[in-house]
Amino acid sequence: MPIVLYRVDDRLIHGQVVVGWGTHLDVDYIAVVDDALAPSEWEQELYRAGLSARMEGRFVTVQEARHRLAEWKGSPVRGILLTRDLETMLRLAEGGILDSEDVNLGGLHEAPGRRRVLSYLFLGDADRRTLAALARAGVKVSARDVPGARRVALRELLEGS
Amino acid sequence: MVLRSLAVQGSWNYRTLLGGGFAFSLLPVLRRRYRGEPEALRAAVGRHAEYFNAHPYLAPVALGAVAHVELAGADPAVVSRLKAGLVSPLGTLGDRLMWARWRPLCALVAIGSFFAGLPWWAAVALFLGTYNALHFGLRLWGMRLGWLEGLNVGRALGRSVVRRVPDRLTLPLVASAAAVLPLLAVALVRGFELPPPLVLGAAVAAAGLRWPTWVGRAATGVIVGSGLLGTLLGAAQ
Repeated sequence: MPIVLYRVDDRLIHGQVVVGWGTHLDVDYIAVVDDALAPSEWEQELYRAGLSARMEGRFVTVQEARHRLAEWKGSPVRGILLTRDLETMLRLAEGGILDSEDVNLGGLHEAPGRRRVLSYLFLGDADRRTLAALARAGVKVSARDVPGARRVALRELLEGS
Repeated sequence: MVLRSLAVQGSWNYRTLLGGGFAFSLLPVLRRRYRGEPEALRAAVGRHAEYFNAHPYLAPVALGAVAHVELAGADPAVVSRLKAGLVSPLGTLGDRLMWARWRPLCALVAIGSFFAGLPWWAAVALFLGTYNALHFGLRLWGMRLGWLEGLNVGRALGRSVVRRVPDRLTLPLVASAAAVLPLLAVALVRGFELPPPLVLGAAVAAAGLRWPTWVGRAATGVIVGSGLLGTLLGAAQ
């Protein structure tokens, strides 16, 4: 049980993740998989300032994450893995690395071409194609913003709207 | 800009949250960077009016940092990444410090001081004074921190006292709640003329929480018990 949550959230590290999920799942670190953040020291410091004192922040590229995933999964240290969009999660999942893992959709907000599916989830056509590709890669996708909320399965998300 | 930041929630809405207020607060800086370029100024105001969120009292941290990088001629893409990264820490730090600790603490201390004999107007003034001392202090501190640090504001925030203070306020908050809430319960049932020994007992019990030993626990037990007893007696009358 070393990576206790895979989540897609365009806000990355924020209150719902740190306090909501982090406390609920008793998490030791949050790994942000993002090619733009991994080389940017000053931005990492910003996101670290939003973590609780006992949580560590790790910032890696997709490539690095694919290399280290097995090690993270085998370790007793508990972590949340975050990406800011579905594309990044799909690149991580390529080759069946995330086969039969649960991926949580926690926040994709309004943008041109996207339509509202849930209050915290807006999807465009490209997003729907990526979701289908994730499902083909064996990933079990569902949406839930905070631990106490209802979990909405992928099929229901794609049928609605 | 600190004065303008008082209006940072002035155009709050569900799509851009603090966006409009942020652009308004930043206007003097943008006018300076884009002097004589009205088109560029309009575009800059537009991009700063987009989605932004923070605790209102900590929004000046973002204003200061953005002012710093704007006047250094930063690329708009970098500026928007800076703002995106500030949303989470400024929200979390502000909520923990002000809503979860400082506001209830100030309110409890003010109510306690009323029971201890302060006239009502002085207790109200005490609440407004202590609460707003930190509120305005935070705005000025934040603006200065952001302005001095620019892009490095994240590291400064991570090390700042604002991150550590909420944990230190937990004990005073619990102590004042333990002292004041039973008194409030008694007062609501029996009327607001409380016997002085009860008030003194409550203060001692609260102080007792400083020591995590049986002394503190016994004192807390006594005051909670006396509060309940008072409530029961009051209800029986």
